[in-house]
Amino acid sequence: MIGVGLVGLILGVIIASVALDIPLPEEWAAYLSLAALAGLDTAFGGWRAALEGRFHPDVFVSGFIVNALLAALLAYLGDRIGVDLFLAAVVTLGGRMFLNLSLIRRYYLNQFALRRQRG
Amino acid sequence: MRDNKLYQIMVFFAIWLVVGLLLGLAFKEQTRLRTAELPSARLPELARAYVQEKQSNAALEEEIRQLRQKINELENAFASGTKQAQVLNQSLQEAKMIAGLLEVEGPGIELILQDSKRKPQGDSPELLPELYTIHDYDLLRVVNELRQAGAEAISINGQRVVATTGIRCTGPVVFINDVKMASPFTVLAIGDPKTLVGALEMPGGALADLKSVDPKMVQIKQLDKVRVPAYSGSTQFRYAKPVPPEGGQP
Repeated sequence: MIGVGLVGLILGVIIASVALDIPLPEEWAAYLSLAALAGLDTAFGGWRAALEGRFHPDVFVSGFIVNALLAALLAYLGDRIGVDLFLAAVVTLGGRMFLNLSLIRRYYLNQFALRRQRG
Repeated sequence: MRDNKLYQIMVFFAIWLVVGLLLGLAFKEQTRLRTAELPSARLPELARAYVQEKQSNAALEEEIRQLRQKINELENAFASGTKQAQVLNQSLQEAKMIAGLLEVEGPGIELILQDSKRKPQGDSPELLPELYTIHDYDLLRVVNELRQAGAEAISINGQRVVATTGIRCTGPVVFINDVKMASPFTVLAIGDPKTLVGALEMPGGALADLKSVDPKMVQIKQLDKVRVPAYSGSTQFRYAKPVPPEGGQP
């Protein structure tokens, strides 16, 4: 399952950098980056959920879409009212990514330790 | 259950794929923005375009010069006809003289203004680097002073100063008649050389500030014969229209 995710990620980056050539307006660049960040957060969350055996596709997909939209909305709103609201999204999503990654790391370390114990 | 597992994996794959797409796009977009902000990547291209524009500009100016000469010849040919035509041509030449459309020569001065080669030393606020360069206002004051002292024709670096001439700094260059130029500036003026020099060297006058910073920024020569070129820019009036005289001649 994790391998599948990695393949998807690499494939996505390759497609985006080689095949897709969408001329986006400059103002969208910030929102795009934030959406990518939200997506990354959701993907990490999904990874962790998969490891813990409680991966639900509907939660996963809706979480991805809503997070990305909220992050973009915050950035837009922040632009309008002159407060760097996108920082809230960056901090929250970034913090969660670290948290998820640490849990993922622990899981693998545990597994590794278990396997060694068994011999 | 197996179906469900496959479905899960597909969703997982799809989301990571989308994340990858977004990341790739964001990365590309940011790179594009960054390169767009740095014009150095496009410098060779710009340099080529600049040289081309400059060449075509020079060619067009040459064409203007030739066409104006032709007009002169035609006017002269026309004038050799009737008495009336002669009178007309005479007033036409006078008008062109006033407008600065004729190349003229006579006694006058040559004034060279250039940026100082010295660097400001120390960091007192009086030693601003701006003081060591020639600005639009220096040229404006000089032109104003020369006109006041009776200069009949003035040019700066080959650009005739006429009634519509603007002198304006844009970044490191000065635009005169929409032509870019930079230091050194050679100002030619026709008039009584002594009066012109006197006006320029008046204490507290146009050149006093420059001279107090660095005397080498200013060089004045009195000449018996100065040749001031004709105005070669546009003479089209796009907005102004002549008003018929009051009390109306038909």
